[in-house]
Amino acid sequence: MKLLAIGLDVVAIGLGIMAVVYTMHAQTRSEAQPWMDVEFPRDSPVLAVSTAFGPSAVHPRGASMAIDLHASLLLRNTGNKTISGLTLRIEAQDLTPSGKASVTVPSLAVPPGEVFPVRVDAQLVRPFSVGRAEGALVQVSLDCALFGDLTAYGPDKLNSRRALMVYELEARRDRRYMATLLKDKDWARVREELDFGLQDLHPQQIGLELLHDPRANTWREQAVNVAAVTFPKAPVQPLSGAARVAGNEVHAPAIQIKNMSQKTVQIVDMGWIVLDDRGREFIAGSIPAALNLAPVAIGTMTEGGTLRFSHPEGSPMMIGALKAFVSDVEFADGKLWIPSRTDIDEATTDPLLRRALATSPEQQRLAEIYRRKGITGLVEELRKLN
Amino acid sequence: MRDNGPDMTHPSAPILALFSSGDLPWKTMWRLKRHVNRCEQCEQHGAEYRAAKAELRREAQSESLTAFEAIADWSVLEREMLGNIAVGVAAARCVDKVRRGRSWLIKASLATALTTLFVAGWITHIPREQTEHLAASLRQIIGLDRPVYLGTQLKNTPDGIAVRAQGATLTIMHPRSAVVLVSGPSSMSARYVDEDTGQVTITKVYAQ
Repeated sequence: MKLLAIGLDVVAIGLGIMAVVYTMHAQTRSEAQPWMDVEFPRDSPVLAVSTAFGPSAVHPRGASMAIDLHASLLLRNTGNKTISGLTLRIEAQDLTPSGKASVTVPSLAVPPGEVFPVRVDAQLVRPFSVGRAEGALVQVSLDCALFGDLTAYGPDKLNSRRALMVYELEARRDRRYMATLLKDKDWARVREELDFGLQDLHPQQIGLELLHDPRANTWREQAVNVAAVTFPKAPVQPLSGAARVAGNEVHAPAIQIKNMSQKTVQIVDMGWIVLDDRGREFIAGSIPAALNLAPVAIGTMTEGGTLRFSHPEGSPMMIGALKAFVSDVEFADGKLWIPSRTDIDEATTDPLLRRALATSPEQQRLAEIYRRKGITGLVEELRKLN
Repeated sequence: MRDNGPDMTHPSAPILALFSSGDLPWKTMWRLKRHVNRCEQCEQHGAEYRAAKAELRREAQSESLTAFEAIADWSVLEREMLGNIAVGVAAARCVDKVRRGRSWLIKASLATALTTLFVAGWITHIPREQTEHLAASLRQIIGLDRPVYLGTQLKNTPDGIAVRAQGATLTIMHPRSAVVLVSGPSSMSARYVDEDTGQVTITKVYAQ
């Protein structure tokens, strides 16, 4: 035992020395070779005016090194169209090709020639044993820029164009809705929609893990039905669904849907609501699936992965039930459908669920403007954008 | 008859007693012997001493052994000493049992106190995530849980959303007010308002 303890001490000291030496060596190299690099194509409608790298601390973490990366980019719209949204792709050498990340800024409305900021805050943890190839450890590049006319630029490797389109359509819907409320001087509803100008200090928080584990555990599993939340005018309606639930894990959720429209549906983005064992509802998110569903045809959407839920403090969140709703639909002609505010109001009588369904990035942004600048600031912003 | 002339100096009683038991140096013995042969009084006292000594020896032999006489008998003394040692060892064993019991009690109390201190220190100093990670690892070691999936994994933490692949982890940081959602079959997103710019920012991680 004593020898083992001495051995462990020696290993710990060795790792510590390795960490210090590697850190010093890495910091020396970082002068010539930056941790993070930002690149835009020459014909890009967006170019970096300035790139300020914050203090990128490097510190050992066990047998790995953790690198904190902070970059503040000031970008200029160098094209001739208004930019509505932008997605930057973040790739790390050590995770390529399996893992990637992105930073999206929707609801921008940046006219040609104007500048706007984007921040990238990341942390890369890599084992000491892994060597470093040439170039920056983390590469930031443009994945997609969406313009005001809903055209786009960029390689779109992360399917960002579709997401940016949905955000933009939601933003236009919410601006129109808020403008109508202001025009009708429905101040009570405006305040209610915008959180009464209060900061949401306790937003919905759940812990999520998304796994594609072929060895998924099937013991304790039980089948549960998936209830449908329907938008009356949606072109695609959920009919019935089922999933296998094991404690805090949802396996292979599947839902049968019907194309109610006369157009072929290419992609359906299905939203999922999770009810915990106390009956509280949480919007888990949405998962788009390519279907190619002919008019009035019936199809099934199935997800092969496993979703694992936990409470913010880390304890498992036991799944009581599941609900599904059609979040958006993309037709074969490239057009998108999103639920209108009327659709959302008619979908449920539960005010909390209605609120959750209506919350969009633009709604969040307008609430922040209302909180900071009041009704005058909100009116000014909507006048500028509409 | 031997005379007792006034010029004769009589030995004292202790000297005479020692003379009668033969315990004086030979020169003194020879000189006193000459005196006693000529002094009837001293000869009589010497005879009385010898008779008293013989009487004492007879009485001593008829009584039980005294401690003084036992010393002279080594075998008896040896047995007595061994007996005493055996009694002492037995007594020491009895005392040792009591002490050993107390020693265990002290050790147990000390261990309990240290364990309590360790647990309190752990609870107050070690982050909950690390405790849970350690517990999960232990559960996996003893077979209560499945091993952690080592493929590409997406996970959210209080500070960011992370993608883990090939032994490395890339975390896109966000404030604690961010709302985390699933955004695809292999992607996770976090949405928040940037306090500095007032812009809504959506970060995503992908497992491809």
